[in-house]
Amino acid sequence: MTSTIDLARESTAEVEVGGIEARSPLELFWRRLREDRVAMVSLGFIVFLVLVAVCAPLIIKLVGARPPNAQSTKYLDSFGTPTGPSSKNIMGVDQLGRDVFSRVLYGARVSLEVAIVATAISVLIGVVLGMFAGFYRGAVDTVISRAIDVLLAFPILLLALGLAAACSLGNGCLHGLIKPGLGVVIFVIAFVNWTYIARIIRGQVLSLREKEFIEAARSLGASNSRIIFREILPNLVAPIIVYSTLIIPQNILFEAALSYLGVGVQPPNASWGAMLADATPIFDSAWWYMVFPGAALLLTVLAFNLLGDGLQDALNPKSGRNA
Amino acid sequence: MQKLRRLLPLAALGVLVLVVAAGCGGGGNKSSTSGGASTTGKTGGTVTILDSAGSVDSLDPGYWYYQTDYEELGQTTQRWLYSWKPDGTTPTPDIAQGLPQVSDGGKTLTIKIKSGIKYSAPLANRTVKAADIKYALERCFLPQVGNGYALAYYSDITGAKDVASGKASEVSGITAPDDTTLVIKLDKPVGVLATGAALGLPCTAPVPKDYAAKYDKGKTSTYGEHQVFTGPYMIEGAGSGTVPSSGYQPAKSITLVRNPSWDKSTDFKPAYFDKIIIKNGSDVSVAARQVLAGQSLMSGDSAVPPPAILKEGLTTKKSQFQISPSGGIRYIALNTTVKPLDNANFRKAIVAVTDRDALRQTRGGTAVGSVANHFIPPDMPGFNEAGGNAGPGFDFYQNPKGDLALAQSYLKKAGYSTGKYTGPALLMVADNQSPAKETAEAFQQQLAQIGIKVNLREVPHATMIGKFCGTPKQKVAICPNLGWGKDFFDAQSMVDPIFNGKNIVQSGNVNTAQATYPKFNAAMDKAEELTDPTQRAQAWGQIDKDVTGQAYYVVWLWDNEVNYTSTNVKGVQNSFNGQAWDLTFSSLK
Repeated sequence: MTSTIDLARESTAEVEVGGIEARSPLELFWRRLREDRVAMVSLGFIVFLVLVAVCAPLIIKLVGARPPNAQSTKYLDSFGTPTGPSSKNIMGVDQLGRDVFSRVLYGARVSLEVAIVATAISVLIGVVLGMFAGFYRGAVDTVISRAIDVLLAFPILLLALGLAAACSLGNGCLHGLIKPGLGVVIFVIAFVNWTYIARIIRGQVLSLREKEFIEAARSLGASNSRIIFREILPNLVAPIIVYSTLIIPQNILFEAALSYLGVGVQPPNASWGAMLADATPIFDSAWWYMVFPGAALLLTVLAFNLLGDGLQDALNPKSGRNA
Repeated sequence: MQKLRRLLPLAALGVLVLVVAAGCGGGGNKSSTSGGASTTGKTGGTVTILDSAGSVDSLDPGYWYYQTDYEELGQTTQRWLYSWKPDGTTPTPDIAQGLPQVSDGGKTLTIKIKSGIKYSAPLANRTVKAADIKYALERCFLPQVGNGYALAYYSDITGAKDVASGKASEVSGITAPDDTTLVIKLDKPVGVLATGAALGLPCTAPVPKDYAAKYDKGKTSTYGEHQVFTGPYMIEGAGSGTVPSSGYQPAKSITLVRNPSWDKSTDFKPAYFDKIIIKNGSDVSVAARQVLAGQSLMSGDSAVPPPAILKEGLTTKKSQFQISPSGGIRYIALNTTVKPLDNANFRKAIVAVTDRDALRQTRGGTAVGSVANHFIPPDMPGFNEAGGNAGPGFDFYQNPKGDLALAQSYLKKAGYSTGKYTGPALLMVADNQSPAKETAEAFQQQLAQIGIKVNLREVPHATMIGKFCGTPKQKVAICPNLGWGKDFFDAQSMVDPIFNGKNIVQSGNVNTAQATYPKFNAAMDKAEELTDPTQRAQAWGQIDKDVTGQAYYVVWLWDNEVNYTSTNVKGVQNSFNGQAWDLTFSSLK
């Protein structure tokens, strides 16, 4: 596999030190990651979170909680203020008497959905355009790089607010593709976030395209697209994984911010950001409404960040935190 | 609430928009400590009012229309032809000597005015003449003054429409034969003028033409910054003819001091305070805690504190609160031009399924008001005629907690044989701030019980009113966060703007349901002309019953006003002004 030459070469040092049999890069990566306890705990938490999100309806039934959108004035006092954690509502209720526990669980679904979809789209666009810019250089590079510069200068939050306002009526914009809710959130994130990854990929490709194995492939008559996708792309797996993991928490936070501002997930659906916004005016009397979604958001973002760092160390030991 | 009137001047229709802005809410049982009974107090001292919003929009008496305008400047700095005692439901002659004398079958009003009322410096030697009130009324039609109610109440004065359209500069129907006599001639009898009620508004605060005319030119009148005061107070430092920044900083502060030209013997207002400071832009929670814990402070425009403070206050500091029905109403508009809301049975199904009690809970529970079942609020003439607390007796308003079975039966009558709505989702535009936001979300959930799906859009309050619910071409089906406050104690100001088909306009529309029913429209046009208070109450009460039966709106709350003070302040509420503080009757203990 010509494509992994680079990774393999980087890891030769360690293999020689160990002086035992040769290992595949994947094995080496896994061995290094396993030794990073923080990263492993984070990975465990993320797997747990995914399971919880996927099985949310089941868990709610098992615990005996009410569905996330079920309102009830039964759990409000005579001033309409919510009641705190109890056996019926283990994380208390909100101003409409909805169960905070089930809303936090359903909020995880939203966060992960955004994290995965928006990150996938921005990585896809970023990698493809970054490779083209780095490989073809010249005019292609100029166009893509200037577009990146423009987008990086874009007030992304204002863009999201404007889009949400403009597309708030009827069927939204672009035949219903963009309307307030996850559509806008995902669109905005994908629209801007691909630039970071594209820049990094471009830089990598600029140096890779001068390497001997590319010359070898070319002399064998490989086409440009084959060189890009079969020779260069596999060498970019490490940076792609690392940056994707680091973009995910940013995207989760961005979704929370947009929902906080009211242009993200639309009511009555639960989102951690929207819950924090609703909790703000009553935080001094209903701490549970802010603490639980806040903690969920904090832990999730922290876990992805720590895992991202761990992956970076494992894939790229020379440039890691401990290097 | 951001008190009732804080919102958008709604063009052409002269009634206070009360709307339920962010953080609004009204409070409480009719019980509680109403200081209204005793209005004697100790003279002297300085009081500070804490506002959460930016206070008045304009210093111009011709512009004043909102609750804060009346409370902070209207009642304190100017005298009107007629004003309102704290618990008065009929106007009290202020500059006038008595109520209008009606002749010529209701088409001529003669009003004698008191002599010897003086202006503040620089016109300190000048007395108020009848001609000054004539000019004050005339300038309310000028576009540069931006008045919000003149067309609604004064357009039947002979010649008024010519001034409004710019064809004439003087209203021929208003004359001042001598310095103390004002004569108003009308094209047809106008009930609210004959009773003096519509003359108890700040458009009748005198404005001397020879002094003011130069400021009334240009795109926006600047008379407000140069005005002369007749009330017990004036803006600090305004004696030179210009309001200085020490007295008024827009959206920051207003300082009022005693007006040396004011003669106590000619006025019914005691004006106990020596100085009134109004501070704008405080955070509601912070301001509420400061007022309750501090000294010499009063609540301002954001009368209802957040639920937690309200709860704490009413349990431990009850004596500092005053809660009374404000004469405002909250309702949900069902747009009759959007299918299937054109079907009365469908609308009745929506009313039937609404849990009005749960909606009230979103604003603070029983403290914020009583559950409504028709339009005219308690204490307003016509309330009892429309059924009083029990309501007009329609089955779909019977259960304040909602009645699912009844709603389903109405849906069947509307053609949905399963008792569930199966059509496309309906557009609902709501506020994006608590507690109005929660009200909308609670209503959304209630509609889901009968299969009605809504596209809920949450936007800032002003956008909701201005861009969506007040603009018919947006075809918003449901507007859940609307409210209305009275202009004075007459049901016309509550019912007519919201229900009369002639009031539907393409922007700034307040007949949000676009209700128009020829028989009711005609009844309203007729009722406007009645001059006898008993007949008026009867007629408007009957109209209220009729329109309630058509379910154009889901009415759900008769608001309370929740006000509070520091322990050393004796606050007095004014019922004309939606129970906002009357600063000319409040005092220090």
